[in-house]
Amino acid sequence: MTPQPVLVLTIAAIAIPWFGAILAAIGQRRARAIGCVVSLGSVLASALLLRAVPPAESLVQALMLLFSCLTLGATLVLPRRDCDSRMIAGILFVLGSTLLGYSAGNLLVLLLAWILSTVPFFAARWFRARTWRPRMGLLISSIALALAIALIAISGHGMSIDRLISRSPGGMAVFSLLVVAVIFRKGICPAHAWVADAIEGGPAIPTALLLNGHFGALLVAKLIVPLFPYTAHNLFPVLSYLAIATALYVAVRALTENSPRRLLAFIALSQSACILAGLESGTAEGITGALVHWYVVTVSTMGLIGVLRLLEVRFGENLTASKYLGLAEHAPRLAVFFIVFGLALVGLPGTLSFCSQDLLIHGTLASHPQTGLLLPIATAMNAISVFRLFARLFLGRRRTGFTVMADALPRERWILTAGVLFVVLGGLFPNAIVARRSAEADRVEQVIHTPMRPAEVFDRRLGPSRRPL
Amino acid sequence: MDLSQAALVFLVLAPGVIFGILALVWLAGGDAPERVISRITGGTFSASVLALVPIVWRVVSTGAPVTVTFGNWFAVGSYHFPLVLMADRLALPFLGMTVVLSGLIGQFSATYLHRERGFLRFFLLLDLFACGSLVTFSAGSFDLLVGGWEIVGITSVLLIAFFQQRPAPVENALRVFAVYRACDIGLLVGVFAMHHWAGTASFAGGLPNLTRNQASTVCLLLLLAAAGKAAQVPFSGWLPRAMEGPTPSSAIFYGAISIHAGAYLLLRVQPLLARSTLASVLVIAIGVATAVYGTITGRASADAKTSLAYASLTQVGVVFVEIGIGWRSIAVAHILGHATVRTLQFLRAPSMLHDYHQMHSAIGGELSPTGRFLEGLFPEQVQLWLYRWALDRGHLDTILDSLAVYPLMRLSRLFAKLDGLGLSRTASFPGEAAIPVRSPAGQGGG
Repeated sequence: MTPQPVLVLTIAAIAIPWFGAILAAIGQRRARAIGCVVSLGSVLASALLLRAVPPAESLVQALMLLFSCLTLGATLVLPRRDCDSRMIAGILFVLGSTLLGYSAGNLLVLLLAWILSTVPFFAARWFRARTWRPRMGLLISSIALALAIALIAISGHGMSIDRLISRSPGGMAVFSLLVVAVIFRKGICPAHAWVADAIEGGPAIPTALLLNGHFGALLVAKLIVPLFPYTAHNLFPVLSYLAIATALYVAVRALTENSPRRLLAFIALSQSACILAGLESGTAEGITGALVHWYVVTVSTMGLIGVLRLLEVRFGENLTASKYLGLAEHAPRLAVFFIVFGLALVGLPGTLSFCSQDLLIHGTLASHPQTGLLLPIATAMNAISVFRLFARLFLGRRRTGFTVMADALPRERWILTAGVLFVVLGGLFPNAIVARRSAEADRVEQVIHTPMRPAEVFDRRLGPSRRPL
Repeated sequence: MDLSQAALVFLVLAPGVIFGILALVWLAGGDAPERVISRITGGTFSASVLALVPIVWRVVSTGAPVTVTFGNWFAVGSYHFPLVLMADRLALPFLGMTVVLSGLIGQFSATYLHRERGFLRFFLLLDLFACGSLVTFSAGSFDLLVGGWEIVGITSVLLIAFFQQRPAPVENALRVFAVYRACDIGLLVGVFAMHHWAGTASFAGGLPNLTRNQASTVCLLLLLAAAGKAAQVPFSGWLPRAMEGPTPSSAIFYGAISIHAGAYLLLRVQPLLARSTLASVLVIAIGVATAVYGTITGRASADAKTSLAYASLTQVGVVFVEIGIGWRSIAVAHILGHATVRTLQFLRAPSMLHDYHQMHSAIGGELSPTGRFLEGLFPEQVQLWLYRWALDRGHLDTILDSLAVYPLMRLSRLFAKLDGLGLSRTASFPGEAAIPVRSPAGQGGG
């Protein structure tokens, strides 16, 4: 396909959700229908886009398709109580902004997408957090990215990402600011607490969508590695240690947490940190594992948080993991979805995460044998937390005191089954996904391990480059 | 693909396919009747027993293993995950034991769990467990073995929590899950070490070529996994907790297959083990310690299933000793005999009193005493001390709790406090609670 149709499809995939967001905000009725149709349009455009590009260069398009599907699933599974026009408009706005971020080839566009994707979370009527930390985390990450891009602009470089590759624009200052942006957006220790606050206090499903955009990992894959291969080569161990420490820290933290939302947030955070650790391992296995794990974390955490929200709607919002609630007697299918998504997140054989964890563990152990050992430990602890939450929510004496509650409705059942099928079929036939991501991983690995070029030596010695591109 | 290879593929996949179909039908809203479920499962295992015939014929007649290679499940750079099934002289007895006993347990459970609310759940998990076990025993590489191993673990845990209305089985399931996951880290890292040093974890064409030190490291890591799965000292505390599951699952997991999976792993790496004196000595030491622990603790157990579990533990400890010494054939024969007898004992456990009375009246009088007990040889003070020690199950859970669980919980609470820094009291978070650690007393069969 020629570049023009690709451009048209990209614009369509991004513009349709924004248009849908405006439509949903104006028209107060049929919000769910608008959300479904619009996200379906985005899914179709992204699918066509994926077909149009070579398989080995399709990461961005695959992520666009994944996120569109995720949004479609979210709009379908959203409980009626939550499904008003404002909520759907916000979700579609996040979708459009995230797709813009994925496809951005220009730093200013990336910054715009980064900021836009957080805008709904600054609207008090849309996002009610119990603490100041979520907004602060998002704000600091946006400011750090803005400053980094401003420094690149001041240093005289262009804004096209392709033209900045391997040029280390802005030197160490820009690199550091980008790392700060990643740390805050991704919730890496010590900036992890806002993620749990956001999931606990905010609307569960839209917040999960925001987090599953994985803009932090995107920044690493899209900017930090290609633009700063020399610095990345030298400083990646530090970043990797931070990511592994985060995975372990929040995994330990989750062991005594009783709020189901916070507990899920910690598990999701720990597994997301594994993505970063894999990307920063600098090995083909680790990077491929990270890219595949990106899919797993996205689908599984969305499934888990979706099921939890459905439980809250049915059984009240005061669910706790401090006692056995026995909800499996009332909602056995939701229980099965929960445990499958939960175990799929932590490496259950037969699911896609078994492959991604396998690759991640091999990659991180190969690059950092001592600290890499912490990754399987963190995953084991996450598995224990998942099972503990499952046991407390679903097992135990049958809960009484309310009338009979519906199990998963057909609408919810089908969409959750689709999610389960994705992780299971992906696990049974992983090569369809792994082979595609492997080519990209090879490229990233090559970039990191390529010896320093004279231009970079010049940059390093004299600071930010003054040479015109 | 010849007949024996096709039979091997069928053998391994059939229970998994049945699990998938039954699970999807249920998820879609269908509800299969008990008779259909039990007949499908029974038919599958009967067919699997038939499928064993060409495999056994081929292995016995040619002496060569039946191997099926599907290529790489996935590959990245130099790392690949080979998908190879292999039935050799070591795997074959375990494969046979799994299909025969799974089929028998299926038949037994059709009656035993009749009208039980979790009937379908039990059969789904039985099918999945059989698939996991068959993958473990027929794997041609340690990578694939890990997959089957994990499935066996998760089905085991879900069956311990089978009677989900009571908190005790659920809490015990969580405990068992925690021990499994902790010990499986050894397996994951051990397999990584093989890849790292030898470039492969496949054993279809012989074990990876490792130096003596490398072999020691790998064996020690795998020993951690094997000891966890086989409930060897110091991880034995989970075994009585696992007796909360329904009797048929206790029979097949802790009397027959799951409890011997650790021994199978060690048998698989036995050539490497033989090259490492340290690992061999450790295997023997763990085996001896477990056998002594099992026999002493079992004598203070108040219920039939727990006594049987400890008797099982004792025998597996002896099997470990045999493996450590290098008596592979004896170990395999011991496992087969032990698994068969123990399964029968577990299945008869619920009707033990009935059996006793029947035997009692059949001989027309009192049953003769079984003879002097070993503990009677010790002085009374020692006997009392041993009794207390056995009653608390060798304090193993207490030791593990104080060394691992409680420090971790304290650390977690400290992290929770750190997370709450800078927040007002109302905004800070309520929740901390430890993973329940209850005394093992009061656990019985289900």
